[in-house]
Amino acid sequence: MRTFYLALKYLAVLLWSAFVIFPFLWMISTSFKTANAVTAGAKWLPWLQFEPSLAGWRSLFGGVGGINILKPYANSAIVTLSGSAIALVLGTLAAYGLSRFTFKAGPLRNADITFFFISQRIMPPIVLAIPFFLMLRFLGLLDTLPGLILIYVAMLMPIAVWVMVDFFNSVPRGLDEMAWMDGCTPVTTFLRVILPNALPGLVVAAMFCLIFGWNDFFFAFTMTFTEVQLLPVSLVALNSSVTPWWSLSAAAIVSVAPLAVLAFVVERFLSRGGLAGAVR
Amino acid sequence: MAEIILENLAHAYAPGAPYALKPLHMTWRNGGTYALLGPSGCGKSTMLNIISGLLRPSEGRVLFDGQDVTALDTGKRNIAQVFQVPVIYKSMTVGENLGFPLVCRGASPQKIKARVETVAERLGLTQWLKRPANALTADMKQLVSLGRGLVREDVAAILLDEPLTVIDPQLKFDLRRILKEINEEFRVTMVLVTHDQTEALTFAEEIVVMNHGEVVQMGSPTELFERPATEHVGWFIGSPAMNFLPAVRDSDRIVVPGTALSVTVPAALPDGELKIGFRPEHATLAHSGGDLEGTVGRIWFEGVDEVVGIDQGAHRVKVRVSGTSPARTGATVAVSVPGDRLCVFVNGKRLPSD
Amino acid sequence: MLELSNLSVSEGRAEHLFDVTVGFRKGRLTTLLGRTGAGKTTMMRAIAGLAETDGGRIALDGKDWSRLAPWQRPVAMVTQQFINYPHLSVLDNVAFPLVRRNVLQDKAREAARDMLGRVGLGTMIDRRPSQLSGGQQQRVAIARALVKKAPVVLLDEPFVNLDYKLREGLREELVDLLKAERETIVIYASTDPREALQMGDDVILMAEGRAIQSGEPQNVYARPGTTRAAEVVSDPPINLIGMEVSGGQLRLDRLADLPARALGRDLPAGRYTLGLRAHSIRQGGDLSARVSLTEVSGSETVTHLQAAGQALVMLERTVTNHALGTTIALSLDLGEALVFDAQGRLIEKEPVHG
Repeated sequence: MRTFYLALKYLAVLLWSAFVIFPFLWMISTSFKTANAVTAGAKWLPWLQFEPSLAGWRSLFGGVGGINILKPYANSAIVTLSGSAIALVLGTLAAYGLSRFTFKAGPLRNADITFFFISQRIMPPIVLAIPFFLMLRFLGLLDTLPGLILIYVAMLMPIAVWVMVDFFNSVPRGLDEMAWMDGCTPVTTFLRVILPNALPGLVVAAMFCLIFGWNDFFFAFTMTFTEVQLLPVSLVALNSSVTPWWSLSAAAIVSVAPLAVLAFVVERFLSRGGLAGAVR
Repeated sequence: MAEIILENLAHAYAPGAPYALKPLHMTWRNGGTYALLGPSGCGKSTMLNIISGLLRPSEGRVLFDGQDVTALDTGKRNIAQVFQVPVIYKSMTVGENLGFPLVCRGASPQKIKARVETVAERLGLTQWLKRPANALTADMKQLVSLGRGLVREDVAAILLDEPLTVIDPQLKFDLRRILKEINEEFRVTMVLVTHDQTEALTFAEEIVVMNHGEVVQMGSPTELFERPATEHVGWFIGSPAMNFLPAVRDSDRIVVPGTALSVTVPAALPDGELKIGFRPEHATLAHSGGDLEGTVGRIWFEGVDEVVGIDQGAHRVKVRVSGTSPARTGATVAVSVPGDRLCVFVNGKRLPSD
Repeated sequence: MLELSNLSVSEGRAEHLFDVTVGFRKGRLTTLLGRTGAGKTTMMRAIAGLAETDGGRIALDGKDWSRLAPWQRPVAMVTQQFINYPHLSVLDNVAFPLVRRNVLQDKAREAARDMLGRVGLGTMIDRRPSQLSGGQQQRVAIARALVKKAPVVLLDEPFVNLDYKLREGLREELVDLLKAERETIVIYASTDPREALQMGDDVILMAEGRAIQSGEPQNVYARPGTTRAAEVVSDPPINLIGMEVSGGQLRLDRLADLPARALGRDLPAGRYTLGLRAHSIRQGGDLSARVSLTEVSGSETVTHLQAAGQALVMLERTVTNHALGTTIALSLDLGEALVFDAQGRLIEKEPVHG
């Protein structure tokens, strides 16, 4: 009887996995198709059901009817990485302050200030489109990488604060006090004691920042035009009267790839556990 | 109320892994009080969890009143368990907490009310019945945990896993008294797990001393104190521990060289490392004469008693003295131990005296 | 000498300190004895700079510490909870305070290695604290506290979360370790009178946020200044009985009438409180009492009784299990009794003349 239930469980997992992975497999297979293969009904297996072709891929690198993806890719990487890095640093510092010290702003306390940070993400981005546009224009940073990085820092920092405040709250205060007893000033305590133990939290925060940053279309679209192009925006140019499914598939894979690799790497790190056993 | 039999019970957390609980066989009578005593990691919590059903043993059976419950879920075994940390349902009042097990079993509201009131009165919780359970102090929360076990009239046994750990020392006495009273009145089989020997000795009729997953000795407090089965029991029970001195065989006696401590050789003496042990409470001090002469190395003042540490050569022996010790630090002193208070240990096991 | 003058702490946790003035001497281990919530932890945190004071002064050798932040104070602390740096190896954990002082890493590690050897963890230096048992983790914490040779070392019930035999062993080890530190002021907090009296060169009794008495253990035990001090310092608990002296008779509230000479001294007529230690109550006599709990600890029995509405505690130096609820006959031996006046202050026995 137990083996029956076991088989049932595995079957359920298998079905669900298939359901989740199928779109990706389809996408990969589609990226190697030509126009004929795509329109002539569903075809799944390369070589057996259709002739694989690199046309879709070539269109990403300056091929026929395509774009050159390299520069936008690099721009996206720069903006996402810089924005995330700065947001992470500032956010973590803010989070530590909110976790360890008491702040008062009129009737507002720490929890309120933390919520204020997080509330920035509740607004639909479109609300910020015009104010950001005007601010960047005033600073002369429209259509530039630094300008975009600034926006990303503003949008990603709440995420960093959100994750890290929670994480720091779970680090017992006894650890800070022990560090003080051993001669660490609050700054040294933060750098040498708390931060090394905050790695899992930082990884999670970094993950979220990178994902949100990389996938952002809205601000990339509204704040840049010609000088600077980011990946999500550049892919729009691929479209034409006949939707080039193969190019789009290849583009999708290329866009998702860095995040997929990142998730894979991080997942193994995260599962090794964090602060277990610092203060019992 | 049930008689609990542990039949050839053993547990290893994975096949091939070393035993967390070595094979044992034990019978606990209905309505008795037992304590599982041992240091951290000795297997006592493992045993308790097997009895309650939270853990399924890799070998052996658990029987309640002759019925095999090894495969039964905790809920079906009718066990009440009180943990180290009070377990209460925070969103309910004290009354609702106490009544919860009966609600789950579909008892009538009148019955629930009656049982809850009876148990609450027994535990001194009557005025708290309507208050949120979370508002109570730790010791009262433990009483609620205990009460939840008592509302069920058919509860087979109450298992307590170091329940007094979070309780303030001055409140421990009240809780211990209540536990004893409950046991007398309800005649429920009670098993207490602890590393505190006073708790075990106070509470239980019989104590199971465990070490490294093994049951070392099971006996009454007096038996454990006066006739420890192994050196470990002699060391673990009693504060300070039993004194152990290396001994050798000298024709028809076993002696501790350099002293007059000796015991007649019992009929069958196995080979192995010999030691003679005696309790600090059984020895007396005098200025001269006696079985062992040494210098007072250190005195521990404990208020009502003093513990005197006497050095003789490489040996350090402790003697408990009421009031003030006659000899002070640095003085020469003689220790006497009545012959019938000397225990002989071979390879760690005590030889039964004739 | 570390001096606290009129120290008050009123914010923060449940504990407070009210106008505390005490001194701690170099080269001595001072134990703070008091129940949970008496103010021991608050006092230590105030000394460490972790609690804000509301008035008063802390000074070491005359130097005022009020302006010093915690990281500037020459203090080391070991807490109840095991606190070690999880991201550092055991060796680096202990070397940490030295490295913070700009000692070269090699020298720091050497000193750490040496200290770890002294606490018996020489083979564990490369492990992480999370891989160690509770007792080992506390040893690391102690090594780290001692390695920097701070003039003041604070230990807040460091062994209370360990099982009792381990606690006994670690206490001994700690005292041996500290013997070498001639210039250090060691302060050790405890709720256990026996532990405090045994370990301390000096004892400070604390209750309700005040330091109520200080002195050497033997003195504080033999002559507690107030009934409160007597309660704090006695284990087993002291019996405090209201007494009326009139017409050559001692009238112990509802318990017994005794001739005045039973006390062995002259008292003017009036109202007093009699302090009878548990061993001064004996079996056999005219007083009738009901057993409410018997606590056995190997060689002694502590029995809690109720007599005429008064709770009494009796200590017997044998193992006897008085059944719950039985009535036994008692007599009171006033030979070593303490007498407190109507305000609860100790009336000293007059020295015997002639």
